[in-house]
Amino acid sequence: MNALIHRLRATGPLISRIVAALFGGYAVAALSSVAVLALPMTKPQAVLTGMLASFAIYAGAVIWVFAVRSALKAWAGLIVVAVPLSLAAWSVS
Amino acid sequence: MSHLLSFALCLTGFTALAFATNRQQRDIFGRLLRPSTTYVHRMVSACALVFALGILVARQGWSLGLVMFSGHATIAAGIVFCALIGRARTFGRKLL
Amino acid sequence: MKTDNDVQVAGRGIRQSMSSLHTWAGLLLGWILYAMFLTGTVSYFKDELSQWMRPELPRLSQIPDQAVVAQRIADELSDIAPGTSQWSIRLPDARNNSVYAFWRTPAGNPGGRGFGEANFDPATGQRVTSRGTLGGEFFYRFHFQFHYMPVVWGRWLAGAAAMFMLVAIVSGVITHKKIFVDFFTFRWGKGQRSWLDAHNAFSVFGLPFHFMITYTGLVTMMALYMPWGERVAFKNPAEQQQLNAELSAFIQPGKPSGQKVPLASVEDMVRQAQERWGRDNVGRVNAVHPGDAAARVAVTRGEAGRVSMSPQYMEFEGTTGKLLAVREDVGAAAETRGVLYALHLGRFGDTVTRWLYFLVSFMGTAMVGSGLVMWTVKRRQKLPDPDRPYFGFRLVERLNIASIAGLSIAMTAFLWANRLLPHPLEGRANWEIDLFFIVWAFTLLHALVRPAKSAWVEQLWAASALLFLLPVLNAVTTQRPLWHSLAEGDWVFAGVDIMCWALAALHAVLAIRTARQETRSQFRRKTSREAPTAVASGGAAG
Repeated sequence: MNALIHRLRATGPLISRIVAALFGGYAVAALSSVAVLALPMTKPQAVLTGMLASFAIYAGAVIWVFAVRSALKAWAGLIVVAVPLSLAAWSVS
Repeated sequence: MSHLLSFALCLTGFTALAFATNRQQRDIFGRLLRPSTTYVHRMVSACALVFALGILVARQGWSLGLVMFSGHATIAAGIVFCALIGRARTFGRKLL
Repeated sequence: MKTDNDVQVAGRGIRQSMSSLHTWAGLLLGWILYAMFLTGTVSYFKDELSQWMRPELPRLSQIPDQAVVAQRIADELSDIAPGTSQWSIRLPDARNNSVYAFWRTPAGNPGGRGFGEANFDPATGQRVTSRGTLGGEFFYRFHFQFHYMPVVWGRWLAGAAAMFMLVAIVSGVITHKKIFVDFFTFRWGKGQRSWLDAHNAFSVFGLPFHFMITYTGLVTMMALYMPWGERVAFKNPAEQQQLNAELSAFIQPGKPSGQKVPLASVEDMVRQAQERWGRDNVGRVNAVHPGDAAARVAVTRGEAGRVSMSPQYMEFEGTTGKLLAVREDVGAAAETRGVLYALHLGRFGDTVTRWLYFLVSFMGTAMVGSGLVMWTVKRRQKLPDPDRPYFGFRLVERLNIASIAGLSIAMTAFLWANRLLPHPLEGRANWEIDLFFIVWAFTLLHALVRPAKSAWVEQLWAASALLFLLPVLNAVTTQRPLWHSLAEGDWVFAGVDIMCWALAALHAVLAIRTARQETRSQFRRKTSREAPTAVASGGAAG
């Protein structure tokens, strides 16, 4: 049991980062692609802009997740970005 | 024809750029070149690359010209890069 | 809540964590990426390859009048697919000696993929009588949707691989910032770390291309990967249609009137498009509800001469042939997408540009391949017992062999199958593809049972031999051997034959070098024990 806990403590942050990168990153990219709709553009252009930019945002999020000092900070960063994006996305939906 | 010319210019440009760096000067000539010579190399390099781009853009328009220039520049830089590696290797072997 | 691991990460610094990210993002889907890169690279010549794979179709010494051909195929389609809601014809151009067309089949059709497709002879308008083959189209489709799986799954897999690639590129750049500050002063290993040198060279000078091709690859299917904005924004089909009109020249069918009226002269419509865009620069003719009173026809501009895939077309009323609208502009974001899309396909350029694309893309393939091999090269030095490596190492090593050397064999086998399979064979086109995968599976089996070095050398020699003999096979089985093609100035056939020999030579060189490396790596193992610092510096540079 102790050994298991120790292993979890050792690999936990890494797994947490991987989850943050794969799913957190995608979530931020997806939110931003919706949030773009709040910009003053016609709908088709805004939708396309959101799609075009989303991959850069996804890649940036992944880099952030692995660049910062701790897994906690990685998640915190994603959430800090996600909150205003969610508000913008919520305002247009 | 414009392809051949711009490719030659790109090759010239990147060769000159390589000679403008201290490390290549040390490896190839065994000493640093005078700052003025280095400056000339850098200018030649810039001019050659700009000319290569200019020729393609004049012939093909901006969009096609830029794409073609990127292609030529990439291949030319690769050739210079490989030539330098090849040279460093044969030279390195001689030292051993 | 700082754990030991985190402290370690912080201690190692951003460069080290980016280096790890580069290694693992590159490795995990690396085999898929390699296959995507190589088949994608070949796809820059997919039209030429398709011509080579249908040797019965004569070479077009000049492009036939597109207007006449369009009419001919439209007539043929009204026989083949009466009552279809939509058909689309891709007209012959400098690179295509056949006409490709597809048409919707009524819903609920047994075996229904929802559409039929065929290649037509521009001279007669009949379906081509050449051997059944997907041609170069197979490699093209494989490179973004694979095979033996639902198309959507394949595209998601390709998207995931591209995303990993993007992360690998960015993290690689962050790790090796120095290379870009001083492009030509990067310190390369002198003769010892040849794989690292190769990987660096391929990556650095092709970097703009690699980044472009990865990002634009994602853009080609972005509506699949990021549908959320679209879902939120558009509440009804009419709004959705506004977006589609920005992206494609396929006009929406709408409702048929049910009243039969024959289509007006397609030739005249294409004639008008030729006046606008040039004699040989008409791309497609798309019709909705042909033969119905509600018919409309869109004639699109060809791909040559503009770096954009944004729709440009003339829309005609189907029954009268009256010009309804000319569409040549889309919004800024749509145009950006059109440009990125075109950059990925590279179909706008002349032959030289296509060769530039091919060469740089080939460097990209080599970058992925050398990166995969480097993973094992670096770890081999640190193995506790080099003769009995751990499972993960063996797995990567064997997968590398089958996915790099094995893919060369399988792709060449696909071309061999094209020449060797009998003509009247049920599902011949599928048999070619099945053989590709069967041969590929055999290379994996071979890689699993043979010692790694022997497997590499044997497979590389096998690929080299198959490639070398392919022009011979072509000379024996078709009427268009190399000497004939050269004498005729048929550069498509001559080009494929000569490229086979060039690639055979490349594989032979790789085989010889790999065979020689055995002794050298043993030597290195000895020296590395004496000079552990050399290995340490080698590891850090990765």
